[in-house]
Amino acid sequence: MLNRLNSRNTFITAIYILILSTLLLGCTNSSNVDSASKNDNDNMLTIAWQRDVGEMNPHVYNPSQLFAQSMVYEPLVSYQDGGELKPHLAESWDISEDGKVYTFHLRQDVKFSDGTKFNADIVKKNFDTILNNAGLHSWLGFINKIDRTEVIDENTFRLTLTEPYYPTIQELAVVRPVRFLGEAGFPENGDTSKGVVEPVGTGPWILEKHKADEYAIFKRNENYWGKKPKVEKIKVKIIPDVETRVLAFEKGELDLLYGEGVISLDDFKQLESTGDYETSISEPVATRQLVLNTRKKQLSDERVRQALHYSFNKEAMVEGITNGYEEKADHILPENFPYTKDIDVKPIGYDVKKAKSLLDEAGWRLHKGKKVREKDGQPLEIELMYNSAEPIQKVMAETLQSEWAAIGVKLNIVGVDLTDQIQRFKENKFDINFFSNYGAPYDPHTFLNIIASKGFGFNEAISAYPNKDELLKQIAEVPQTTDEKKRQLLYSSILKSVQDQGAIVPVSHIKKTAIYQKDVTNFNFPANRDEHPFTGISIEK
Amino acid sequence: MGTYVLKRIMSIIPVFLLATLLTTGMIHLSSVDPAEAYLTAAHIQPTDEILAQKRHEFGLDQPFLLQYVNSIIKICQLDFGISYVSNKPVWDEVTYRIPATIQLALGSIVIAVLVSVPLGFLAGVKKNSLIDHFSRALSFFGASIPSFWLGYILIFFFSVKLDLFPVEGIGTWQHLVLPSVTLALPLIAMYTRLLRASVLENMREPYVLFARTRGIKEKTIMGKHVLRIAISPMITGLGMNLGKLLTGTIIVEAVFSWPGFGRYFIEAIFNRDIPVIQCYVLIAASLFIVSNLIVDLIQMFIDPRISRKEGQQ
Repeated sequence: MLNRLNSRNTFITAIYILILSTLLLGCTNSSNVDSASKNDNDNMLTIAWQRDVGEMNPHVYNPSQLFAQSMVYEPLVSYQDGGELKPHLAESWDISEDGKVYTFHLRQDVKFSDGTKFNADIVKKNFDTILNNAGLHSWLGFINKIDRTEVIDENTFRLTLTEPYYPTIQELAVVRPVRFLGEAGFPENGDTSKGVVEPVGTGPWILEKHKADEYAIFKRNENYWGKKPKVEKIKVKIIPDVETRVLAFEKGELDLLYGEGVISLDDFKQLESTGDYETSISEPVATRQLVLNTRKKQLSDERVRQALHYSFNKEAMVEGITNGYEEKADHILPENFPYTKDIDVKPIGYDVKKAKSLLDEAGWRLHKGKKVREKDGQPLEIELMYNSAEPIQKVMAETLQSEWAAIGVKLNIVGVDLTDQIQRFKENKFDINFFSNYGAPYDPHTFLNIIASKGFGFNEAISAYPNKDELLKQIAEVPQTTDEKKRQLLYSSILKSVQDQGAIVPVSHIKKTAIYQKDVTNFNFPANRDEHPFTGISIEK
Repeated sequence: MGTYVLKRIMSIIPVFLLATLLTTGMIHLSSVDPAEAYLTAAHIQPTDEILAQKRHEFGLDQPFLLQYVNSIIKICQLDFGISYVSNKPVWDEVTYRIPATIQLALGSIVIAVLVSVPLGFLAGVKKNSLIDHFSRALSFFGASIPSFWLGYILIFFFSVKLDLFPVEGIGTWQHLVLPSVTLALPLIAMYTRLLRASVLENMREPYVLFARTRGIKEKTIMGKHVLRIAISPMITGLGMNLGKLLTGTIIVEAVFSWPGFGRYFIEAIFNRDIPVIQCYVLIAASLFIVSNLIVDLIQMFIDPRISRKEGQQ
C-alpha cells in the first residue's frame, strides 16, 4: 500500500516538474532573442500595426499590408501633394499624341537591395507576371487596356495600350501590383502569384526579420538611390487590439502610432491633452458620404433628398462626433485631388424650414397627431446602414436619426459588418448607406468608374437621375481624353451633376492621425493614402 | 479499459462531423461570401469578374454539400486545405501558432493550480477564517470580471504604472505573467470554491473520524487523506476546462498581442476563412474529448474507487 502511494506521488511530482520545466525552457529560449533586438539599437523607430505585415510580395494583396509593401518596393511614378505625379523609378516619360503609347525613361542609378541593376528587362518581367494574373488585377483600369509591353533599350520601357487611357500614369503610383521585384525574388516559373523567393526591392527599406504575428524589422537600405532614411531601423509590432496599442504607447514601448483607425479619436484626444506627445493630422484622404438609393420610392424625389441634406447640422455633427479631427465636407471628393478643385456645386446649409417646405412640396405631409410624414398612405420611413465596427458612423447615424425625426422622417438605423455592408451595397439592398471614395492615388477616376459600373451601389443609387445615361456616357469619355482642358470640363460637369441631384451627400473629410513621442521629429503624411511615412522621420537623442 | 478508451476516442468522429457541419453551415447562412470578404480585406473593388475568379479558386461555386463533403474527405487525409487569405496550407499556419497558445494555457494552468490548491484547501480546513473570506472575495471577483477588462486593468497597473511587465508580446517569462494571470483568474475562482466545498464534505466522512481515533496527526489526515480525495472534483474541472482554456485564449491573445491560435482564429472568422475555421473546430472538439478522457483516466489512477465502480457496472 505504502509502495503504491509513493510511486503515485513520484508520478505526480514528475508531471509537475515536466510541465514547469517545459514552460521555463520555452521562456528562456526566446528571451535571449528579444532582449538582444531591443537594446542594441537606439536609432530604431518602433510602431504598432493591427495586422501582420504579411508576405513581402509586391504583386499580391492579402494578407500583405500596403504600407509595408511600399517600404520595400517602388513605383515608376509617385503621387505627391495635390495629385502631382512625379518621376520616381522612371526619370521621365513620353505619351504619344493618340494617348496610347507610353515610353518610360528609367533612372540609371537604381539598384535592387541585392546589388543587381534595375533596368527595362526587369520592368518587363514584373509586368509580364502581373499580366499573367490580369483577372485579379482587373480592378485597376489600365491593366485591362495593356496591349503589349516592350524593352526598347536597357533604360527604356514602352507600354502600349489598346485605347487611350489618361489615368495610366496615376495608376502606376499605386502600391500594388505595379511595383518591382528583383530578379532573385522570382520563383523558377516566373509566377509570383504563389509567392516570391526573397523580398528584393529597390525601396529605402529592407526586410531584416519577420516573425509572423509578432513583429517585423526593416533596416535602412544603405545603397538607396534616393534620399536615405534617417533612422536605421523600423520595428513594426503587431498589436491587434486598439486599447493595447494605446497602453503600449503610453508606456513608451512604441514611438509612433499612425494611420486610420489605429487609435480611437477619444484616446487620441485624451493623449493629446496630456501634452506629453506630439500629434499631427493629415490632409483629407477621402470623403465620408451618405449614398441615397434613388430606386427607393421615398428617395426617388430630388426634393426629398435635398430636404434630408438641409435638415441636419453637418458642421456641429462632424465637430461634435470627431472632436474636430474631421471637417465638414461640401464636395463629394476632397479638393486636394486632381481635377476636383472649384467644382461649382449648389451650396446646402443647415435650414430646417426649407427642408420642411421641400417635403411639403414633394407631397410628404405631416398629418395631425402623427410624427411621421405620409404620402398616399405610405410613411416616410427609411433605413440607414452603417459599419458597426466604426463608432463614428454609428454616432452619426444616431444623430441623423434624431435630426430627421424633427422634420417627420423616420430613420431606422442598422449596423452590419464591413463585408456585409459592401455586399448589401453591391446588391442594392439598402436605402441609405455610409460610404467613402477610395482616396489618393485612385481618385477621381476610380470613383466615377464605380458610379458607372453595374453591380455597385453607386450605380443603382443614381437611377432616378433624369440624366443618368448622359452622365454614364460622359464618365466613359473622361479616361479617353487627351486634352487636359476638356478633361477638366468633363469632370467639373459630372461631379456637379452627381452631387447637385443629391444621391451622394458629402458629410466629412476623413483624415489620418498620428501621435508620437517627443523625440520623434519630421513626421509627414505621404500624399498617397497607402504609402509609408518613414523616410523623412528622425529620432532625436 | 482498452475498449473504453477506444470507444471514447471514436466518439470524436460524430462530434467533429456535427461541429464542422454546424460551423460551415452557419458561415454559409451568413449573407457574406468569403470571396467578397477576401476582396474587402485586400482593399480591392469587388468587380464581378474578380469575384467569380476568387469564388472558383475557393471552390465556392460548387453546391454547399459537395463543398462540405470534399473538405471532410480531405481532412480525413489530414489535409486541411489552403487558407483563403494567406494562400498557405492551413496546417502550417496552425502549427506555427499552436506552441504559443499551449505555452499560455500551461502558464495559466500552473498559476491556477499553484494558487487554488493551497487557497481552497486552507479555506476548507479553516472555515470562516480570514483566509476563507479572502478566498471567497477572490472567487467572487474572479468569476464575475470579464477577462478583456481584467487584461486592461492588469496592463494599466502592472505594466504602464508600475513598469513590472511588458504591455504585450511574447518572449521572456515576464511577457507570460499578465496574460496567464488573466486567463487563470476565472479558473482560480472556480477551483478554489470547488476544492473548499470538497474538503468540507470530506472532513465529515467517517474515515476522517476513524483516522482521528487512531491518533493520526491532524496534519497527516488533512494532507495525505482529505486533500487526496477532495482534489478529485477539481481535476475533473481542470480537464473539462482544457477545451475552454483554448477558447478562452482567444480574447486574452488579442488583448496581449499573444501570437497564438486564438487570435488567428478570430481573424479567420472576420475573413470568412473557412478552412481555418474548420481546422480550429476540429482541434477544439478533439481537445474537449481527449482532455475529458485523460481526466477520467487520471481520476481512476488517483482514486481507485472510481474504477472499481466502473468495473461493477
